[in-house]
Amino acid sequence: MDDLKQAILDFAESSKKTKFYFKDIQNAAQKVYPDANKRDIKKAATALVNEEKLVYFSTGSTTMYGLKGRGQTEDY
Amino acid sequence: MAFEPKEVQKELKYEELRIYSDEELNNYTEEELKDFKIKHDIPMCEDLESGPWPSFVADAKREALHRRKLADDRMLIERDVVEDLLGQLELSFEHGETHWKHGGIVGVFGYGGGVIGRYSDLQDQFPSIAHFHTMRVNQPASKFYTSDYLRSICDLWEYRGSGMMNMHGSTGDIIFLGTFTEQLEPIFFELGHKLQQDLGGSGSNLRTPSCCIGKARCEWSCIDTQDMCYELTHYYQDELHRPAFPYKFKFKFDGCPNCCVASIARADMSYIGTWRDEIRIDHEAVRAYMGGEIAPNGGAHAGKDWGKFDVQKEVIDLCPTKCMGMEDGKLVIDNKECTRCMHCINVMPRALRPGTDTGVSILFGAKAPILEGAQMSLLTIPFIKCDPPYDNIKENVIEPIWDWWMEEGKNRERLGELIQRQGIKKLLEVLNIPPMPQMVREPRSNPYIFWKKEDVPGDWDRDINDYRSRHKR
Repeated sequence: MDDLKQAILDFAESSKKTKFYFKDIQNAAQKVYPDANKRDIKKAATALVNEEKLVYFSTGSTTMYGLKGRGQTEDY
Repeated sequence: MAFEPKEVQKELKYEELRIYSDEELNNYTEEELKDFKIKHDIPMCEDLESGPWPSFVADAKREALHRRKLADDRMLIERDVVEDLLGQLELSFEHGETHWKHGGIVGVFGYGGGVIGRYSDLQDQFPSIAHFHTMRVNQPASKFYTSDYLRSICDLWEYRGSGMMNMHGSTGDIIFLGTFTEQLEPIFFELGHKLQQDLGGSGSNLRTPSCCIGKARCEWSCIDTQDMCYELTHYYQDELHRPAFPYKFKFKFDGCPNCCVASIARADMSYIGTWRDEIRIDHEAVRAYMGGEIAPNGGAHAGKDWGKFDVQKEVIDLCPTKCMGMEDGKLVIDNKECTRCMHCINVMPRALRPGTDTGVSILFGAKAPILEGAQMSLLTIPFIKCDPPYDNIKENVIEPIWDWWMEEGKNRERLGELIQRQGIKKLLEVLNIPPMPQMVREPRSNPYIFWKKEDVPGDWDRDINDYRSRHKR
């Protein structure tokens, strides 16, 4: 779990984008850990949200993940 | 089946939960309303009040007046939130474009859905709606409420939000319209801890499942839609609140093919109650309909004289598969040809009833027109038994479909679009079911089902070069 979380954070920090679809996170995590299944990746992403390292961004119809403090913030 | 709640159900009492007194709730007169003007000039909005239908503008003005007359400490967001909302709407009509910013980072802790961030892009002009976040509240199955419950949520929303709500959103939720970020967690706390109420789904989540009135009041319901909706809502909590899908995903449950919640048009996975035995016929009652003793259509269309009921013209001739007829003065139905259109049952409900060996048909892929245009869902599983806790459906239908869609679906691609892109053949492989006659409208007209060599006894030989010599690309 910690490895997956780190892989997600590495991807989020190195990306030029500020928002990611879950699919982007899944592909990035599976690049590092090809055997990781998507439910575990989801759990890792949820844990990062609970630790306030990632945030959800929602338009209402679609949800994306972002790195807390980068791009759009709550003070928007 | 008796309702078995998954947690002890509180009895909500408005007298214990109420925030406002009767005087506060009825704090203006109709005379005052007539003379009331909001602080912005809104001629185009007011024009909407002149039509034949009740107008949201009239309702919003009532709410604006009500908030004007409440004491300062009786609302936790700005009192003129409704007035600013109408002011901004007027400006949007004038400019021909919206003044809402799209989306945002708001939510309640641990949830990735249920709250939709909205911010005004004219915050200096309309400070009361600088934030105008929407909250979705998961409606009770079939939308049965007590007035204590409704009054309690109305008070809560008046106190911590704009007081405006939408009953109901298209997914079925109760929609709370407009509050500030700092009120989200307190509202969620009050809903969860005092009103025993959860948020609904939004974003790339399983959306709030929705069902028809089912066996609670309808004798046609072939399945207990409320139980199924409740069970799957609880079982898939994680999918409802923590987004990991490529896009939205909707379940809807209809008890019979009348499809009162329109699952066939609106759900990625539509469950429609059906039967696989025979339509039950009460021949005495058929004769009573034919003799005019019982009004057809449950007495509907009675406002005009349509003449004597004619079973041939109004029922038999309208059967889409022509599977009905009269033999020796008795109605007969060739049940294997019945397509479950419900017309005969609707016209003569006391004479004809659905069979007793009941279950569901499952259809996939309906959606509104975002990418490819509107799509109705595709009948894929003609019949499956449907008994609690629905493990056969969870394990053999829902989860394989989700696994496939999460693996192969592109970002913002609905299940219906994935089926279109990869083909029905692939869908059937995912579900591990064979092609069935019920999947096609008529023989040889469906271009999506292709046979594999091993499926055809005797195999075949095909020379592509020979084919191309006669059919140019």
